[in-house]
Amino acid sequence: MEQRLANTWQMTVNERKFIEMALAADLRVDDRGPFDYRPCTITFGRHKLKYLQFSFTNRVGGSSEVQLGETHVMSYVTSQLVQPYRDRPNEGTLSIFTEFSPMADPAFEAGRPGEFAIELGRIVDRGLRESGAVDMESLCVVVGKLVWSIRVDLHILDNGGNLIDAANIAALASLLTFRRPECTLGGDDNHELIIHDIEDREPLPLIIHHLPVAVTFAVFGEGNIMVIDPSYKEEAVMGGRMTITMNSNGDICAVQKAGIGISSSVIIRCLEICAVKAAEITSKINHANLLDSQMESFNDGRSIQYPNFHPVDVAIQDNLPDVIMNKKQIENLTGHLAALPLDALDRNSNKSGAVVVGTNTRAKFENNQARDGVPFYSPSNWDPYPRKLCSCLARSSLKLSGLPEDVEEDKVNTTQSVKVECGLEHTKGASSSRALETASEYTTVEATSQYIKAPKTLKDAVKIQNRKMRK
Amino acid sequence: MAPMEVDRADGRTSNQLRPLSCTRNVLHRAHGSARWSQGDTIVLAAVFGPKAGTKKEENPEKASIEVIWKPKTGLIGKVEKEYEMILKRTLQSVCLLTIHPNTTTSVIVQVVGDDGALLPCAINASCAALADAGIPLKYLAVAICCGLTGSRSVILDPTKIEEKKILAFAYLVFPNSPISVLPKGSLTEDSEPIEAGIITSVTHGAMPVVDYFNCLDRGYAACAKISEFLRRSMESQAPSDLTKTT
Repeated sequence: MEQRLANTWQMTVNERKFIEMALAADLRVDDRGPFDYRPCTITFGRHKLKYLQFSFTNRVGGSSEVQLGETHVMSYVTSQLVQPYRDRPNEGTLSIFTEFSPMADPAFEAGRPGEFAIELGRIVDRGLRESGAVDMESLCVVVGKLVWSIRVDLHILDNGGNLIDAANIAALASLLTFRRPECTLGGDDNHELIIHDIEDREPLPLIIHHLPVAVTFAVFGEGNIMVIDPSYKEEAVMGGRMTITMNSNGDICAVQKAGIGISSSVIIRCLEICAVKAAEITSKINHANLLDSQMESFNDGRSIQYPNFHPVDVAIQDNLPDVIMNKKQIENLTGHLAALPLDALDRNSNKSGAVVVGTNTRAKFENNQARDGVPFYSPSNWDPYPRKLCSCLARSSLKLSGLPEDVEEDKVNTTQSVKVECGLEHTKGASSSRALETASEYTTVEATSQYIKAPKTLKDAVKIQNRKMRK
Repeated sequence: MAPMEVDRADGRTSNQLRPLSCTRNVLHRAHGSARWSQGDTIVLAAVFGPKAGTKKEENPEKASIEVIWKPKTGLIGKVEKEYEMILKRTLQSVCLLTIHPNTTTSVIVQVVGDDGALLPCAINASCAALADAGIPLKYLAVAICCGLTGSRSVILDPTKIEEKKILAFAYLVFPNSPISVLPKGSLTEDSEPIEAGIITSVTHGAMPVVDYFNCLDRGYAACAKISEFLRRSMESQAPSDLTKTT
């Protein structure tokens, strides 16, 4: 028992009081406005396993990963043909499953979902299913016998606060990219169900009428201080929480409120703010989806060069670059393997390296598009404990990797940005000219707008006032 | 017996691996995390450092490792439990267990994409995550999947479709190859390769003994290259200044 207490994280009294006092003075610990969202990145991955024999479980899953500040949520959509419910014989079903992975938070336990996990699942479910966002009647195949059952799995990978909003965006994004195979009735007597393979007929997207977006408000103080998108520490301090699920038309899809009482005037104000935020997030999701489908069609066009290997979209992750083996390195690998007493290797046959680079840069390009309007820090000289690399260090590392020095004077460079340059060094060797183009595009975009910040501490909050006055 | 050239669906030769990619420190709350991808098989591993206490059935004189495997969709079944057990045993032989007795280190593995060779990918990701968390290790484990086709030739790193078609396959885990401090000359005199034991071997399907040894040789050679890649990725991501707070 003591050991379990020893392993849980407890917020210190000092931190709690500090956050409360700062909020009373209209300041947030991470220098956001009270109604500002953290930078949000949406990445898509559609798995087109074209060579797989089609079985009853759909192989064309739609998946997306959303990074909202430090919160990371992954969503995966699959479908299956099932018998419909008896009272709704012509409608498909949509079910949401939430997995609070222990990797997100040491307090989450594997196995049975806790009450917050169930609550999150219910909020997302109400917003999506009960508001009629996804068209159920189009999922019917044979009335009373076979309908499509859509299953959304939400995996919480990193708990940085405000899981509900992130999970909702992830669910929406993955439903938008999900494609189900087309099936028709055929056969001798028109009673046989033919599920068309992905190669024969293009899979169909789901019909989604509107995008219900969840906006979470955290309540502090006497019920008069409200902030949007609480971070993990703010959540530990808050007195109550209110989540409003709204679409861009201004329709309220769901409201969930718990904690201390809020007056009705405050609630109405929150609804107005929510309308604005919902529209913003909807446009962000649509924009990201559009970019993804554009790159998808581009990739399809490019696949003509590689008849054997169809470039597959891989769910590429966050903004940390990968150390990818570029074509040269893979050639070296094969060259080394050739030294062994084995059959002759074809050194120029590996094109998959170039493809990986292409999709990687695509995802990162998209990431930069998805973020907008977030102010970034300038490393001031007053900080006696620099937790970030100073710009001169970054510049020297850029020199090392031989990239164009677009580094601005007042840019934030965390240790993660060092990895950016190194990752690019690897990708630069790719032979595909298109990939190189996007890689250099990526260089300039990433170099000029660095949004990833090292986690802020109270020290940064102390000097916020000076910066605000300067602005 | 001369091995024949195998025609693989994605244009690789029988000795070619899919493009590898490794990113560490991807999660903020976990003590260590890594994302490892081999082609379309992507695994995200997170490590929570030594926590006080061990479970009842574990030996309190050593550190214990707890593995939680999270599939992409669906409930946890027998397959996932088996993976957890194999991963746990592999990591137990890799970690130095006597440094922190009576503690539990949790390794959580999340499958992000599955296109064949899932367990080797997970083992590689877990080792990278353990290194990222700073858990004391003896060496890193490097895993590979070797498949045996019907024509009795060995292919490396099969995709899911290939796994279904081939006769048998084996997941092999080797310790990563050390950088030798001896000058190159002395190595060439010694015709025997440096002895390295196999940490784990899991086979599916029946294969003749000779072919199994073929797989071992190929796997060992390929693991040397993967461990080179791993070393390079760790070196490039090592923080130049250590002012980063946890």
